[in-house]
Amino acid sequence: MRGEGVKILRYAMAAAAMLLPMIAARAERAPATFETLLTRTCGECHAGGSAEGGLDLDAVGFDLRVATVRDRFALMHDRIAKGQMPPDPDDLPEPARGELLATLSEALAAADSIAMNVDGRVPLRRLNRLEYQQTLRDMLALPLLDIADQLPEDRVRDGFNKSAEGLDFSRIQLAATLDAAEAALAAAIAPGEAPQPPDHYAAFATKLFSEGQTFGEREAMFFAKDGRAVSLTGQHLAALRTSFVQDPTIECCIFRSAYWPYYGYPHGFIARRAGVYSVRFRARAVVQHEGYTITPAPQSVPMTFRARRPSGPDVSGDVRAVGGIFDISAEPTDFETQVVLDAGQTIEYSLLGLPVPLARNVNGGPPTYRYPPFPAGGQPGVAIQSLEISGPLPPDPWPPESHRVLFGELPFRGTKPGSPLPVEVESADPVTDARRFLAAFADRAVLAPLAPEELAPFFAVVDASLADGVGFTRAVLTGYAAILASPHVVYLREPRGLDAVPGSDAASGSRAAYDLAARLSYFLWDTRPDATLLQKARDGSLAESTVLAAEADRLVADDQFARFIETFTDYWLDLRHVRRDEPDVRLYPEYRFDDYLAESMAAETRAFVTSLIRDNLPARSIVTTDFVYANDRLARHYVLPPLAGHAVRKVPMPPESPFGGLLTQAAIQRVTANGTNTSPVVRGAWVMTRLLGQPPPHPPESVPAVEPDIRGAKTIRDLLARHTADASCASCHKLFDPVGFALESFDICGGWRDRYRGLDEGEPVTGIDRAGHDFAYRLAAPVDPSGSLPDGREFADIKAMKALLAADERQLARNLLHQFTAYATGAPVRFADRPEIEVILDATANAGYRVGDLLRGLIKSRIFRGLPPAAATTTSEETPS
Amino acid sequence: MTRTILPGRFSRRTLLRGAGATLALPWLEALPRVAAATADAPPLRAIFISNNLGILPEPFFPKTAGLGYELSPYLARLADHRADFTVISGLSHPSVRGGHSTENCFLTAARNPTASGFRNTISLDQFAAERIGHLTRFPTLNLGVNIDKANRSLAWTRDGCLIPPEDRPSRLFEKLFVTGSPAEVAGRRRQLRERESILDALGDDARRLEKRVSIADRRRLDQYLTSVRELEERLQVAGAWEERPRPQPPTAKPGDITDRAQIFAGFEAMLDMARLAIETDSTRLVTLMVDAFATPAFRLADERTTTDGYHNLSHHGQSAEKLAQLEAADRWQMDLLAMLLAKLAERREGDHRLLDRTIVLYGSNLGDANTHDNTNLPILVAGGGFRHGSHLAFPLDDNLPLSNLFVTVLERLGVEAEAFGSSTGPLADLEPA
Repeated sequence: MRGEGVKILRYAMAAAAMLLPMIAARAERAPATFETLLTRTCGECHAGGSAEGGLDLDAVGFDLRVATVRDRFALMHDRIAKGQMPPDPDDLPEPARGELLATLSEALAAADSIAMNVDGRVPLRRLNRLEYQQTLRDMLALPLLDIADQLPEDRVRDGFNKSAEGLDFSRIQLAATLDAAEAALAAAIAPGEAPQPPDHYAAFATKLFSEGQTFGEREAMFFAKDGRAVSLTGQHLAALRTSFVQDPTIECCIFRSAYWPYYGYPHGFIARRAGVYSVRFRARAVVQHEGYTITPAPQSVPMTFRARRPSGPDVSGDVRAVGGIFDISAEPTDFETQVVLDAGQTIEYSLLGLPVPLARNVNGGPPTYRYPPFPAGGQPGVAIQSLEISGPLPPDPWPPESHRVLFGELPFRGTKPGSPLPVEVESADPVTDARRFLAAFADRAVLAPLAPEELAPFFAVVDASLADGVGFTRAVLTGYAAILASPHVVYLREPRGLDAVPGSDAASGSRAAYDLAARLSYFLWDTRPDATLLQKARDGSLAESTVLAAEADRLVADDQFARFIETFTDYWLDLRHVRRDEPDVRLYPEYRFDDYLAESMAAETRAFVTSLIRDNLPARSIVTTDFVYANDRLARHYVLPPLAGHAVRKVPMPPESPFGGLLTQAAIQRVTANGTNTSPVVRGAWVMTRLLGQPPPHPPESVPAVEPDIRGAKTIRDLLARHTADASCASCHKLFDPVGFALESFDICGGWRDRYRGLDEGEPVTGIDRAGHDFAYRLAAPVDPSGSLPDGREFADIKAMKALLAADERQLARNLLHQFTAYATGAPVRFADRPEIEVILDATANAGYRVGDLLRGLIKSRIFRGLPPAAATTTSEETPS
Repeated sequence: MTRTILPGRFSRRTLLRGAGATLALPWLEALPRVAAATADAPPLRAIFISNNLGILPEPFFPKTAGLGYELSPYLARLADHRADFTVISGLSHPSVRGGHSTENCFLTAARNPTASGFRNTISLDQFAAERIGHLTRFPTLNLGVNIDKANRSLAWTRDGCLIPPEDRPSRLFEKLFVTGSPAEVAGRRRQLRERESILDALGDDARRLEKRVSIADRRRLDQYLTSVRELEERLQVAGAWEERPRPQPPTAKPGDITDRAQIFAGFEAMLDMARLAIETDSTRLVTLMVDAFATPAFRLADERTTTDGYHNLSHHGQSAEKLAQLEAADRWQMDLLAMLLAKLAERREGDHRLLDRTIVLYGSNLGDANTHDNTNLPILVAGGGFRHGSHLAFPLDDNLPLSNLFVTVLERLGVEAEAFGSSTGPLADLEPA
């Protein structure tokens, strides 16, 4: 083992030595002129024990072979280039500044290129848990497989859950991977000898609610006939439910959300077995008026189902949204969907955006639930007429496709109840069959073909299990589990494949093609390549950049691209945190329990990013567009003309609107606020980092955060002004606060505001909120959204600031390329990658840096294809032998 | 570069299969018998207790803070142990709101338990068990009193699956002290062998691959190989436990209390079992949920029965009659806690009181059941070798995350964790003595 290490080390040194000796020599150490100039200019503050900003030139040293030293110098390069250092520009006048930057840039690029030539750009990267789940779903033909949560949450690095350095492997990871793999295999095998017929459940309205009434009294729910509530006692209800003749004109009307306290599922239905259930129901949207009468609703009401155990009121448990969202309209309509239920679960009607009754105890009595007052025009709700459920739907075909993946056409029989496996597969020649199936499974699971000797360890597993007497089925499954947890499956390799070690593997070229196919597929689909893409790897055509680009287009156009949108926005834009902080209901009672708003704002941003790429919008759309994506809830939130339905759609915006563009979307405002208040510092720094690609320097450790004052006495601006009166604070804050100032026009959920809200100061506003709570907050100081950018350009408000930011299209585009690169390749843009990024930008400049073009440009680039930087290649070609 | 790979296949295992093999692995020294022989302090354990309807905040929380705080009426029941516990106010789980729905989040801190798509996260005990669970026969023991096992538990897996609590002392006793049937033992051994065989293959495969990749890739594969080796060692420990006889039962097998009105007799029986499990080092992590919510009208210490079920009683609405009954129930709980602390303090392990090696955390997901308030949770931490005796008071209108206390508990248990749940750091004010 030790010998191997030395051999590889020796190779690495040889590879370095093969490059132009002069460049190599220069790359080892920063050039002497540079060293002198840097020490002279920066040494006063940045050397010795008390060095500022955590940068001590003495400690860093000048050995550019060390990756951390290169990173450090790259940062220095950038801060000098941006004019941020030295603090007094006169300390480093031109032409010294230009020379310093040029020398450093050349040395860094050379050193980085050599490192890439030796080690590759990115090391092996473990699949994250979403990728692993999707991979197994596709590999085993189990589209509903749910194993991601069995694996530890993946670390985030460079902004994403896709960083090779961040995706570590550990004992816990391995144990969890084996558990997840075994769970997946258990789900794939046939559930019995023959398919079981589904259970059927059918109900008219009187069975559509578990009780005669719910919390919040009749305002929250009642049974109605001919548009008017009918009073049903428990006895009445029981009689009606058991009666053979049902009155089809009775409706079950619900006017509350399914939020806690719960209650609201069909009487007498519990899934006996886990599986997919088909649900059919007939319903219409209504409005409730005083006196418990209903009329058809002018607007649709969104509804979904949640899977949970029917455990009575007030009790928690898994609450999973299933079956999608339906817009229930005024005309009675039949709806049909499928839901996934565990044994023991039922479905709960979940009416999105409706009120939640407030629990109170009056004079020591049992809890009662106050229903909030009706809005003008009545309370919208849903009247359900009938419901049918059947399932679990038997797999079609039989045996399930997933079972065939494991055991082909071998015969199988059911086992006794309580056996660890539902079926035993029969084999006349277990040893031969086991090896044959294992080889076939490995061929399916591992992209590049395995050599016979690579299969040997897995054969050993099944041989040992068979010898242990566990039987054919279990022995084969044990071997499969080993393959699914092996490095072949859990790691992704950079497309360079093995060609970093010339001649080490005859198949290196084709391996690189498989790796390229995998990189493209995990980038755009979060899963392994499909058959078409794999074929292009096998025949080698993927190496042609036109084929590669065409495949990229195909993947982007496919429905599976939704997974890219979800993961990419979850991390790039923090959409996974859109529900993180509950709105502070003292200040924002209108947002109490408004899960539908949170869901809608995430849907808007995802639809928008999809459009950026598919509709090939210019990069400036990050900052401004003349449209938004909105649904019924967002139309109210953004104060647009009313829209009907839950689906977000493109809505044109008038030029004077502050909305339009990613920057001002509700989800962005929400993930950059904390539920109680907004901070221009936090929002500004977030926008600079994520949207503009100009991350601010790290804050000094000793300075406490500026805490907003929720009494309403002081605005955040007043408080910040005091903080930034100090010149050393101001020098950094001016880089990111201004953007945050302009965004102060948006509250914690992205609603427009002209004035701050507070609890102690200002004009009182009182009322009863949507969950029946009394509220009282105050309208305090007006928002001042004006400011000036670091370069001195001033803006009066968000509209004006957007115009300024949109002007720097190239930087917006460059940031997108940086985000795509880190996400797609598992490593951020390296110093030596920078020229290639500029090449892509040049090529897309004329058309306005369109986002689809940028994505395609990156995929065709050397960075994505795992080729060493162009400059380094030229250099090595010039190497005299 | 550190080489972490074993010199050859099986070597460690072959060694292990020989006599006295357990000594080959350094961390096996923590096995009970070996531990007694070492000079090191005995290991740290933890018992996490929650009553899902909480206790009345008014008589529980002291009016003054700091070391010289004045005992509240409830804490006066624990006066003998004043130097052995810390009472903490101003803690809660951020965004864990929704009245009773928060009960399953007490040890997980999973946010928004009422929202669509909610899925619980790993609980404190399970998280710790990933690191220290292999050192005892049972990684954790999860107990309940009167508990609705299908829906409630303090213990949750990584993927948010409920771990059903054990609610029968007799069954727990069998688990701790009685070896299973030969078929069960054989089944468990076979499972271990399968895993070992898989790990052999994975190690072989990764080593083969390692020969053909770059240095940077090798570093990643080294991590993989280290994982394989560490997991192999863990399996060996599990196997060793199968071979090892169970400890002698220190008491006779207890009976079960099936009458749910006897909630506090049941609580006492479970506390006893928790203590036995800790004493025999059968586990180092115990959770215990007192499911007051599922409790009908119940017996108080003076043999009276309450007028209402526990849940209805908890919504007292300031009714004097209900408050009096709740106070009687709360006082009994305090007395049972005092009894547990006394027994743990009595028992010695080497030079240490068992109490000093056992963290006892008592609390609830409800700060005030009457109003379904999930802030300002009642929290009491005893034992575990912390510097106790004070009332740590955090702002009541801006709570500190309860997970900060959990991070401190993890650190004390020797479990490295930068963060847990919604923590923002350790609870700096609670330090080892």
